[in-house]
Amino acid sequence: MDSLVIEESRSSPAIRLDAGARGLSISGESYPENAAAFYAPVFAWLKTFLAELEPAAMVRVDLAVRYLNSSSTKVMLNFLDLLEQAAQDGAQVIVNWRYDSDNESILECGQDFSEELTALTFNLVEQSQEPP
Amino acid sequence: MSTLDLTRLQDELRHQGILMSFSGPFSHSIIEELGKAIRHYLESTEVAGSALMDVFAVYIEQAQNVRNYISRLEAGPEKTRLAGSGIVVIAQDEQRYVISSGNLLDRTDAPALTAHLERLRSLDKAGLKALYKEQMRQPLNPQGGAGLGLIGMARKSAAPLEYALGDVDERYVFFSLRVVI
Repeated sequence: MDSLVIEESRSSPAIRLDAGARGLSISGESYPENAAAFYAPVFAWLKTFLAELEPAAMVRVDLAVRYLNSSSTKVMLNFLDLLEQAAQDGAQVIVNWRYDSDNESILECGQDFSEELTALTFNLVEQSQEPP
Repeated sequence: MSTLDLTRLQDELRHQGILMSFSGPFSHSIIEELGKAIRHYLESTEVAGSALMDVFAVYIEQAQNVRNYISRLEAGPEKTRLAGSGIVVIAQDEQRYVISSGNLLDRTDAPALTAHLERLRSLDKAGLKALYKEQMRQPLNPQGGAGLGLIGMARKSAAPLEYALGDVDERYVFFSLRVVI
């Protein structure tokens, strides 16, 4: 299965979905004009990836978003729900939610998500802000 | 203002503490560019990172709400008038930032919006969080509009959301919304 790579833009994040390494990463800011349309290829990829996943496989998910608008928040929850389902089915899913120490909003957003998810491992990982 | 002298307008902007405003047809690229501008401005001041991101977040939600709402109405004959009715203003009031938006609103949409805003105004932080979680689970509207924006703004706001509906004509009212960070 091919990897899916989407480059970052001002209002949409960098996306790297690597089937071989079973590593998924999303980083940057997300407030695209149409979140459903922007993320459609991501969902198509993820559904295929999870359908082909061997039982008990480990999947690492690295989320380092700095801002999600409200539509992107819903999309992110749907994305995490699919991974949650895979974890319920036996996959070992580890999500690292990376947030800058001075970005309380995105920490709160990670906490909101973590409360919705039980089967996967959801880590809130603080990182000091990168130099400008 | 019939002359080229902009000092009165400038005085008024200064008097109201207005850092940035945009009035007219919003496009996605305008929303992006103004967002970049306000962040650069706030980064140059002493504002804390969290407040900066909250101001930016509320600005984006308001601007995208205005744009999404207007584009749903725009199919009708009053396209230009509607498209031009949007406004977003970011102002500083001592240590607070005030982000406001406005647009024409179809009168038939006013009761539901008013009821939603009154409900948000009546809830405390825990109540807002519970409602946010509930709404987060509702499906995304394909035209944009997650139904989550106002609740998210209410969670971030230092004071209950303030709004006003001003009379315009038989068909429209003018909706104004004010969020304090």
